[in-house]
Amino acid sequence: MCFAYTALILYFFGVVFSFKRWISYTLASIGAAFALVGGIVGTFYPFTLGNMELLPKIYMSLGVNHTSGIFMTIAAISWIAISIYSIDYGKFYSKDMGLWLNLSFLGMMIILMAGDGLTFITGWEIMTVSSYLLILKHKGAFKEAFEFLAFGELSTVSLIIAFASLFLKNGNFSFTQNSGTVIFLIMSTFAFAVKMGIFPFHTWLIGAHAKAPSNVSALLSAPLTLMGVYGIFMALSIMPNLHLYNFQWWGILAIIFGAMSAFWGALHAVATKQLKTLPAYSTIENNGMILAAIGISVMASADPNLAIMSEFALITAIMLAISHTFSKSLLFLSVGHVKEALNEDNIDDLRGAWSAVGKIPALGILISGLSFSAFPPLAGFVGEWMLLESFFQSYKFSDIITRLVATFAGIFVALAIGMAAFSMVKLAGYTALGYDHGKKAKRMPSTLMKVSELFLAILVFGFGIFATFVLRYFGYSQFTSGLFGVPSPFLMISSVPIFGVVSPMFFAIVTSVLFLFPLAFYLTKNKVRRVNSWNGGLPIEEGEYFTAQAYSSIIEIVFKKIYITKEKRSADEAHIEFVDVISVFYDALKGTILKIENVLSNTLMNGNINAYVAYIFAVLVLIFILR
Amino acid sequence: MKWWPTKGMKRFLTEMDNYPSKATVKSMNIFKRSIHIYTIDVGNSNLLNFEIKALQSAQYNTHRFGIYFADSPRHADLLIVLGSPTKNMIEPLMNTIEQMPKPFGILIVEENDEMDLELPNVVGRLKNPEPSDILGAILKIMERN
Amino acid sequence: MKILLGVFRKDINYYVVQDNGIVLTETDPADTYLPNYASVKLRDMMINSDQSVKDGDGVFDFRYGPVTSGVGEAGIYHLYTYGERILSVSIDLSYKHRNIQNRMVGLDLKSGLKMAESICGNFAFSHSLAFSKAVESAIGVNVDSKSQRLRIIALELERIYNHLYVIYQLAQTASQKVLTSHLSYLFEESLRLNKKISGSRYLKNFNDIGGIKNFDEKTLQDLKTDVQKIVNEFKDLYEWALESGNFLDRLYSTAILKSSDAMSLGITGPTLRASGIREDLRYNDPAYENLNIPIKEEGDALSRMEVRAEEIFESQRIIFNQIENFDAEINAETTEKGFGYCESPSGTMVYKIDLESQNISDVYIATPSLFAFKGIANSLVGNIFTDFQFAVESFGVNFADAAL
Repeated sequence: MCFAYTALILYFFGVVFSFKRWISYTLASIGAAFALVGGIVGTFYPFTLGNMELLPKIYMSLGVNHTSGIFMTIAAISWIAISIYSIDYGKFYSKDMGLWLNLSFLGMMIILMAGDGLTFITGWEIMTVSSYLLILKHKGAFKEAFEFLAFGELSTVSLIIAFASLFLKNGNFSFTQNSGTVIFLIMSTFAFAVKMGIFPFHTWLIGAHAKAPSNVSALLSAPLTLMGVYGIFMALSIMPNLHLYNFQWWGILAIIFGAMSAFWGALHAVATKQLKTLPAYSTIENNGMILAAIGISVMASADPNLAIMSEFALITAIMLAISHTFSKSLLFLSVGHVKEALNEDNIDDLRGAWSAVGKIPALGILISGLSFSAFPPLAGFVGEWMLLESFFQSYKFSDIITRLVATFAGIFVALAIGMAAFSMVKLAGYTALGYDHGKKAKRMPSTLMKVSELFLAILVFGFGIFATFVLRYFGYSQFTSGLFGVPSPFLMISSVPIFGVVSPMFFAIVTSVLFLFPLAFYLTKNKVRRVNSWNGGLPIEEGEYFTAQAYSSIIEIVFKKIYITKEKRSADEAHIEFVDVISVFYDALKGTILKIENVLSNTLMNGNINAYVAYIFAVLVLIFILR
Repeated sequence: MKWWPTKGMKRFLTEMDNYPSKATVKSMNIFKRSIHIYTIDVGNSNLLNFEIKALQSAQYNTHRFGIYFADSPRHADLLIVLGSPTKNMIEPLMNTIEQMPKPFGILIVEENDEMDLELPNVVGRLKNPEPSDILGAILKIMERN
Repeated sequence: MKILLGVFRKDINYYVVQDNGIVLTETDPADTYLPNYASVKLRDMMINSDQSVKDGDGVFDFRYGPVTSGVGEAGIYHLYTYGERILSVSIDLSYKHRNIQNRMVGLDLKSGLKMAESICGNFAFSHSLAFSKAVESAIGVNVDSKSQRLRIIALELERIYNHLYVIYQLAQTASQKVLTSHLSYLFEESLRLNKKISGSRYLKNFNDIGGIKNFDEKTLQDLKTDVQKIVNEFKDLYEWALESGNFLDRLYSTAILKSSDAMSLGITGPTLRASGIREDLRYNDPAYENLNIPIKEEGDALSRMEVRAEEIFESQRIIFNQIENFDAEINAETTEKGFGYCESPSGTMVYKIDLESQNISDVYIATPSLFAFKGIANSLVGNIFTDFQFAVESFGVNFADAAL
């Protein structure tokens, strides 16, 4: 309890001390550390920080319970990494970045601890506005920041409607058991889905993540979208008993939209050539998978016989959220490091970070990329294995429509996982491991950046290898077991009775033992002949490297209908053009609205004094008539 | 599927069991069971390329001796250099030799022009050979005849 | 219907022109065949496609060669691409450049002939024939009818094994394993047949200036049965190959060369006939009778394969015809002084030779491959990577013939 208080106070001081960069960021990281402890404590011993009575029956209350404790633990780890990273990275940006960073942490803390709608909205707004200002720190990011704000306010408005519905039913805003209404569920889910960047509300996320400073990208992508996930958990937790009321429609919608955005995100991650757009699309993909897992859980909870499956899908969502938060923070931080050092935007121009920038950022990109490609035994593998296991169990549903939806969604999700690997190979293969351009990296103080990258990389490993212990820690020990010589609790099982099993720990042990032999061979062989890579008898030249565009061209050409691919060729230049159809739609919408606004302002607000007098007169007449 | 691929099954196109060779070559018995060959054209009149293609025909059936043609010098044990190098091909030839994993051998196959380049690990020289001569020389290098 | 094949300079520019089955020199070129003037005149070792797009987002140079098993010869294909789609092609011939035209000057006729035969091994007889025709017309030697008929037979034998090779390569590229094996067998058999007739697998040292000597006429009947056997077997294989949908799919509409482009580039031979143009030097040669040389319209890799396959059947008819009429007298084709040409398996082969006291004082060689490479470069543009091998193999040309 005191930890949470301390964290809030430290964030506050971080805001105050923003004139001195390093103090501000250090305070933020210490605050995050306290938040971590608060989260861990709150997971097991729920506590409240107190109520404040604004009006009779209307309270603002803060507190941590089991669910929010878990989410606070996850988010706090990401906050720690981001704020430590920012001590070095923040030097490239103005001083008020520390202020807004602290403030957005504070906002998220408030969201996670909110016991009622008013507090929640307060935290939500603090988070949204400070994130907006953080995006603005990057020069020329005004359009993207504004789009972020527009979608952020869209979700705030729908949250207000949701809480109003809560108030109409219960007479207060507090989140208590069985207080939810259907309108609340619909509107809040919409608000949180927008925040998670669920298809087709994902366009804000791309621009904002790509343009923002990299520590802010990590913040936006990992903890901020995590708030959306938490929001959905929170909203579902205050709904009346799920198996008594029929919320299957919600589950079906969640699975459909989740699978759609997983597919869409993965598809566009494959095609994109921008270093930071690729992880942004990957965020959409991961959040889609999380939503789909929650959807399965809700569908299963409608049937009392499927309680275990429902719980498994729920813990799947949490594991996916963990893997996404850690891996994506790591990815954005490492990518930001490389991008800052080489001062380039394109994947092609950033080849060879391993030798050009450093081993740790390259390793960060590699490990997070492998995690997103579901490479065992990393955290991403555990999450995606669990998700596929959840989908495999959809045969247990009694309803044929539900089964069909889950099956087809499973196909899309599996495709998405495959394509995610494709895109991550591109990102890690070019950026981290590709041939060096021979470009000089900018010299900059990067010790703490490396520390935070290493910290996250170890966690991505650790949460994969020790996934069974994480499950037990969160109170889901029924999904851990021992079998076939694997001692308990090193084996993860996807259902009781056993349906599917995996042991990341033993996978790690077996692979590392197998790896020892080639390693020993390599080390004992003292004479190693090194030759240039084979390229048809001549040394490879700069213009002959296989480009990132060429790597994914085939997908763009095959999925011509989805990307609206156009191969443009003029006399001396050629390129492939493709678009995200949804952003085209939003652009068209924006254009139409601007046009209408223009017409209205020209006709009604035409600057003619007589017209304004006429309006006033008309209003007066109207008032008289109405009276 | 058409029925005609079975036509190949009832015909034995392979000819001799043994290809004697009079060429003087250095044998490398490490490759007795299998040898992978990469051929590099350094400026022959395309005739030797045709002979290598002919060597891969059904009559010789080189796979039965464990002779395979690799698509990269990195996979090869024996480099067959066809022709005498033009000015531009000397560098690619040297780069190719550098890529060969050790131990390896080089078999020089010439037309009319003599090759006057110093190459490492030369195991033999052939002049205007027919495919059977090349095969015989390879088998001799492998110590199989 | 004029095709510009070469430009050489004495005191003024002379243009080597092919016109309805005759090759002749002109001093004043008409505009119709000027498009390839620059490339013919310069004999540049770098052949670029007309569309030359080398820049753009993600565009890079996919270098294929000089040491790759896909190309097989010493030469480079630079394919400019942003992935899959080939935007522009540059072919570098310089790695095979052996400076033959200059080395040939000053040689005596015997060594000149030997050098001509070793320009391009698989067109050895065509080179030899064009060279000796040029020398014969320069010094005024008459060739006896039997030698003429033997030359025709040898030329058709060369055509058979080269066409078999091209179709063998196409089958291999399309991974038609059984067809590939059978065709490789026929290819080797046809080379052995050459050895039986001429003593050389590539018909080398067979032809000589003034005619073919030391030929045993008794082998002609054997030749007939051997050719019959090979062609019959090929006929079966070819008919079956045309039933294989996935083989034809790879060839159909791959690397299309339009007839007008083919003409203006100076392309001759089966490639030109696959674009729908009836042009062949054999039409104008009185030694040939009842020619029925195949023509296809589409100009894609499939048409080129079909033309070559049907030419094998036609070659068999020609050989049979020549053997039947072996003792009948024929009139020699007359050419300009110092001028010799023939229809090689891939197109017109021209030698222009000046002599000075039995030594070669000047030589100009026009080979079909040089022009076909330009055709490959142009027809590849817009295709994708996997079409590359089919395009290259279907033209049936090689670096040795193009880079002298």
